[in-house]
Amino acid sequence: MTQGIRFGDFVREVSLKQNYISYNALTPPLRLDENGKEIPYQPAKLQLRSIDIYRLLGPYVGTRLVNQIKAVVPLAAYLFLFQILILRQSVLDHWVISAGLIAVILGLMIFMEGLKLGLMPFGEIIGHTLPKKSKLGVVLLIAFLLGIGVTFAEPAIGALQAVGSIVDVNKAPYLYTLLNNWTGALVLVVGMGVGLAAVLGTLRFLNGWSLKPMIFLTLIPTLGLTVYCMFDPELNKVLGLAWDCGAVTTGPVTVPLVLSLGIGIASAAGKGNSSLSGFGIVTLASLFPIIGVMGLAIYVASTVSPESIIQAAQVVVTQSSSGWLTETPYVEIVSGVQSIVPLVLFLFLVLKVLLKEKIPEPGILFYGLCLSVLGMIIFNIGLSYGLAKLGSQSGSFVPAAFAPIEKVEGSPLYVYAVGVFIAVFFAWILGFGATLAEPALNALGQTVENLTNGAFKKSMLMYAVSIGVGFGISLGVLKIIFEIPIAYLLLPGYTLGVVLTALSTEEFVNVAWDSAGVTTGPVTVPLVLAMGLGFGNAVSAIEGFGILSMASICPILSVLITGIWVQFKRRQADIHRIEILKGQEGVA
Amino acid sequence: MIQREITVLTDIALITCIVQRGVADDIIQAAREAGAQGATVYFARGMGIRERLGILGVSVEVEKEVIEIVVSKEQVERVFERMYLAGNLDTPGMGIMYITPLDKAATFIPPEVLKKFS
Repeated sequence: MTQGIRFGDFVREVSLKQNYISYNALTPPLRLDENGKEIPYQPAKLQLRSIDIYRLLGPYVGTRLVNQIKAVVPLAAYLFLFQILILRQSVLDHWVISAGLIAVILGLMIFMEGLKLGLMPFGEIIGHTLPKKSKLGVVLLIAFLLGIGVTFAEPAIGALQAVGSIVDVNKAPYLYTLLNNWTGALVLVVGMGVGLAAVLGTLRFLNGWSLKPMIFLTLIPTLGLTVYCMFDPELNKVLGLAWDCGAVTTGPVTVPLVLSLGIGIASAAGKGNSSLSGFGIVTLASLFPIIGVMGLAIYVASTVSPESIIQAAQVVVTQSSSGWLTETPYVEIVSGVQSIVPLVLFLFLVLKVLLKEKIPEPGILFYGLCLSVLGMIIFNIGLSYGLAKLGSQSGSFVPAAFAPIEKVEGSPLYVYAVGVFIAVFFAWILGFGATLAEPALNALGQTVENLTNGAFKKSMLMYAVSIGVGFGISLGVLKIIFEIPIAYLLLPGYTLGVVLTALSTEEFVNVAWDSAGVTTGPVTVPLVLAMGLGFGNAVSAIEGFGILSMASICPILSVLITGIWVQFKRRQADIHRIEILKGQEGVA
Repeated sequence: MIQREITVLTDIALITCIVQRGVADDIIQAAREAGAQGATVYFARGMGIRERLGILGVSVEVEKEVIEIVVSKEQVERVFERMYLAGNLDTPGMGIMYITPLDKAATFIPPEVLKKFS
């Protein structure tokens, strides 16, 4: 017996219940005042049920939280596991570190949202309207000042202050004084470097300059100063710091704000349509600060003697830190407010006084600014208790694999050669993994794939950069173990970079030099800096800087080499195709 | 010379769905599982409920994605429903979707499919 079901009934059974309401019933009726004029409709505030609020905020918080968890947790897990499984050491203060890492995740999440809602709109409006209302000179001045402002707001820059206390004043007095007494000046020269890069980058936007000569021209004084410092017994200890500063600057605040200004200027001038012109600022912003820091070091060296620094440091130690300003929550709050508020005031003044523009959605903007300050404070707390602590702890334990360390019983744990290999391998995986997880690299890879019409695959770029960073961090660790002067690694590295740059096409040069800046995010920088210093202290090296700078040059080289290889492949394919065509003609 | 022909499709409808940026992929996935053949996405900016939510408005992205999917009349209810559920459109601020009747459409149709109808 067959049973008939009406198809309509079936559909109703399997699908959702639908209620029909006429939209006419929901839209407001036309209202007239006594003169017969229309009263403009003002929608009432929406009343939400708590379930709606939950469903609204759930995905909002969730996606942002997951992004930061992805950036922090794998790295931290790797460090924890390595320490427990390979070095067989329990993690000290693991509760404090875990709480610190949670603070880092929350802080970054809040800060990034605040950046998007509070700071970016400023950058966009100013970039858009400034060139229309002001002369080029004023525009460039603003770009320069903005460069300084964003450097102070960069979360990773706080890491420099945080690690400064680990440096031993007796071994490297200038390094110590730069990081402790001259921190403000240090960040300022770094900021000036970034500002100069913003100015040059803007000019590049406007005039469509090629990046190659700019790289060559910047590298000559940079390498020249490096050579000068190399031959000074005191100054050569600062080199690692100087080159590391370049990597620190190009973070999540600097890059988008400076870029949005540059793009706004270029589009207002009706130029800069080249998709590549967005690159290059990052490169310059990581090279100029190096010159600035070396210049500052030379200036400090000419005014202060190492002995007086050591004496001053001892006086400070005996006085010891006192007052509420140096205690934990307050110092972070002060530094968080200090880093954001000046930047915001500057942007606000430019907008109000110079441009006389209205601020769009002031409520949301204010909310964004509060978030960025709050996020910065929480991140700073997490930085000192989570990232810096974990990094320096791993750094100080890893040498136990090959050398006797007081804190570790039974060290060296392995035969010397095996131990060194384990340490280097540890560094390699750390660099490779941290870079591959960096969200900025993913975005860069996508851009590059589009720019090169798929010749340079996204995954290929990501692996090239990650492998480069892996080797860079390994080299940096080797540098600390064997106390190789950093200049011996940097000079050949950058010379090779120059040669490869001359050989490559413009597009790959842009990508390669920028990829170095992209890789060093706000999680990697403090972790690697602290690890290097802890490592350096454990093997009693003079200073533990330089790992980040190696992690900058190596990906440049690896991407350039990959680029040349891609070019070569492409040419081969072309030749092959021509031969096939010729062969077909022959047959015909 | 080969005579070119045009095959016109009838009994079709257009589903347009406007959601916050970043959500489109999930909705398209759901629509394809329900039988939709393809989708077009473009970026837009939208306003309305964000202003009415007050401080909660920050959780609604101003940047939107507009999904356009052409479906057959038989599919339209099913796909519409799946997209509604995948996009959580019953939550304030998540977006809006609508069906537009279409008159005709034309695109590539595989020859073996065409053969069945000739």
